[in-house]
Amino acid sequence: MTFSREELRQLAIPALIALALLGGGAALIRMADQAVRVAQRDLGAAQSLRQQNADKLARIAEEEREVKQKLDVYARLKNLNILGEERRLEWADTIARIRTQRELLDLRYRVERQRLIASVPGKPANVDFYASPMRVELALLHEEDLVRFLADLRASGNAYYAVRRCVLTRTGQAAGSGAVMAPRLNGQCEIDLITIMDRAAKR
Amino acid sequence: MPARRVLYFTAEDHYVYRCSRRSIELEARFSGDDLGVTEFREYLRGRKGALFSVVADLAGEDFHEDQIPFLRGSDRDAVLQRRLATRYRDTRLAAALSLGLITTGERRNERLLLASFTNTQQLAPWLDALEEAGARLAGVYSAPLVAPALAARLGARGGRTILVTANRAGLRQSFIEDGRLRFARLERTVEMVPQALAMFVRSETLRMTQYLATLRALPRDGSPLQVIVVAPRGQRAAFEQALASDTRLAFLTVDGAEAAAAIGLKQAPEASGAEALYVHLAARKPPREQFASRDDRRRYVLWRLQRGLVAAGLAGFAACGLYAGAKWLDASDVRARAAAQRAAAQAAAQQYERITAAFPVTHTTTDNLKATVVEFTRIAERSGSPEAAFAHVSRVLEKFPQFEIETLDWGVGRPDERREKPPAAGAKPAAGSDAAMRVELAGRIHATQRDDYRGITANVQRFAEALAVDGYELVRTQLPFDITSEGTLTGDIGAGQDRSEAPRFTVTLVRRLP
Repeated sequence: MTFSREELRQLAIPALIALALLGGGAALIRMADQAVRVAQRDLGAAQSLRQQNADKLARIAEEEREVKQKLDVYARLKNLNILGEERRLEWADTIARIRTQRELLDLRYRVERQRLIASVPGKPANVDFYASPMRVELALLHEEDLVRFLADLRASGNAYYAVRRCVLTRTGQAAGSGAVMAPRLNGQCEIDLITIMDRAAKR
Repeated sequence: MPARRVLYFTAEDHYVYRCSRRSIELEARFSGDDLGVTEFREYLRGRKGALFSVVADLAGEDFHEDQIPFLRGSDRDAVLQRRLATRYRDTRLAAALSLGLITTGERRNERLLLASFTNTQQLAPWLDALEEAGARLAGVYSAPLVAPALAARLGARGGRTILVTANRAGLRQSFIEDGRLRFARLERTVEMVPQALAMFVRSETLRMTQYLATLRALPRDGSPLQVIVVAPRGQRAAFEQALASDTRLAFLTVDGAEAAAAIGLKQAPEASGAEALYVHLAARKPPREQFASRDDRRRYVLWRLQRGLVAAGLAGFAACGLYAGAKWLDASDVRARAAAQRAAAQAAAQQYERITAAFPVTHTTTDNLKATVVEFTRIAERSGSPEAAFAHVSRVLEKFPQFEIETLDWGVGRPDERREKPPAAGAKPAAGSDAAMRVELAGRIHATQRDDYRGITANVQRFAEALAVDGYELVRTQLPFDITSEGTLTGDIGAGQDRSEAPRFTVTLVRRLP
């Protein structure tokens, strides 16, 4: 069936209406697509943000747990004056006090110069661990004297006392064999007096 | 939806019915002469673009069965036009109805029913009037063309059926085979009582069956032919009484009101006969086949195209709208999910803020805090304490009073000294065992003869084994004599030795630090 020009003109308006409707429909789809794309972009950003925040939260929660655990130890180190400059005078006072209190017959010691044993990276500065080797020689009535001496030393603080070596040697007869109280044991110990320098620590 | 009008065309008068969805109403009536045509033209004035169908209910309708080769498309159209032109002088109102395919030998033919009016001139002025008035002619139908659809609605089964209706034009009989029109005739009637009309129906039906049998359109012996008779409203009982079924004819009488209900016609003019059924079906469900030429229907086709274009546009818009709606729902769902994610992110951020706000005061940076504690812990773990070793040795010595310790040397170092007993095969080394405490005991053993090598060895071994518990490992034992194959074993039994000096021994133990 062929159409005349007039008939084609009559078909033009419905065709235009149909095209307009289809165009409108296509525009609706385009807008909906755009809305979906925008929503998906938002979703991606929100998911990413949620993931980041969740990761940060997990990290901070873990860090909080870790810090709480470690803070205890750190506080004890600080309270015991293990953190900070070494305190040689306090060490000397402590040894003298222990000798008097424990009535040790003879006690000699020698603290060598301080040396760096470890430097751990930190922020903003490294944490340095120093050891001051001390050699102690004691005249003992009983091996228990050495144990008490070491316990008193640890309790005094001002350093972490890492005992490297202790030699107990029998030097005489058992106590009570003579009238004079004579040492029957000789104790020699090598002890590292460890102090920590945290340069980021607030004073 | 524009109103459809149907021009019901009989030999005497013509009626214009206005058809709506479930009703028809008589709008105009015209005589069949020239005056009627003039009045029709007047009627059409101001109805430009009105939608018209024509239902012709005329006696002079020709039906001729023919066959053409099985063709499609324009070839078929050309052959049909040629056949119609051969059969009918005026093909303006001629139609070819397909009756299906038949195979004769190797050829496939299409059976056709060629149909037209013997006098098309009586219709021509009316069609011209419609054309001139600018009306849109949907089609020209005859009552028999609509009959198969009506018969189907009235319950006609497949096979052969005669549909009989009492129309204004007369008694219309249509012979339908397998849902397709095969033959029809119109017998004029006069006013008569229902019983007489029913008897007339019976006699005319018998005449028609005899005619069809003559044409061999009906088998001589076979099952009874179904005859559906639409009785005028309220006359069904009289018809059923007169139309008793027999071996040749099985009558099914349907009341006019029931027939109208069956085709969805609720309201029809009181004076109308069964033609209302044909008019309603022609308006609502017109058959595909009709008589009007393409040129007569051109305006209608154009109008259909216009509506089709707009409808297609609307359908496309609706489809796009639905698709877009689904997308919007998607977008809404995604937005809701994004909002949930943002809320979760905000909750996490708030919790982060709460934790950081309540973070413990550390007096140093977190990194230095961790570094300090971790390294200190490592140093502390590698540091030993001699007190535990002293206690362990004391406990063992209480069980071995014959042993006297002269020197106890305790130290921390690497467990690199050669062991006396290698670890058991497959035994795993202790974790973190690169540092160890070392305890070396040197002393004397009493209450054992100096020359009792076996006794001394056994005692020292028992003592060493008693020490090598609770994580302590025996590294070395040294006896006052050498019983190894690499060494020299000496003996001075009986004299020359200071018998008061107890034999010496050395036991070395290690214990790995954690």
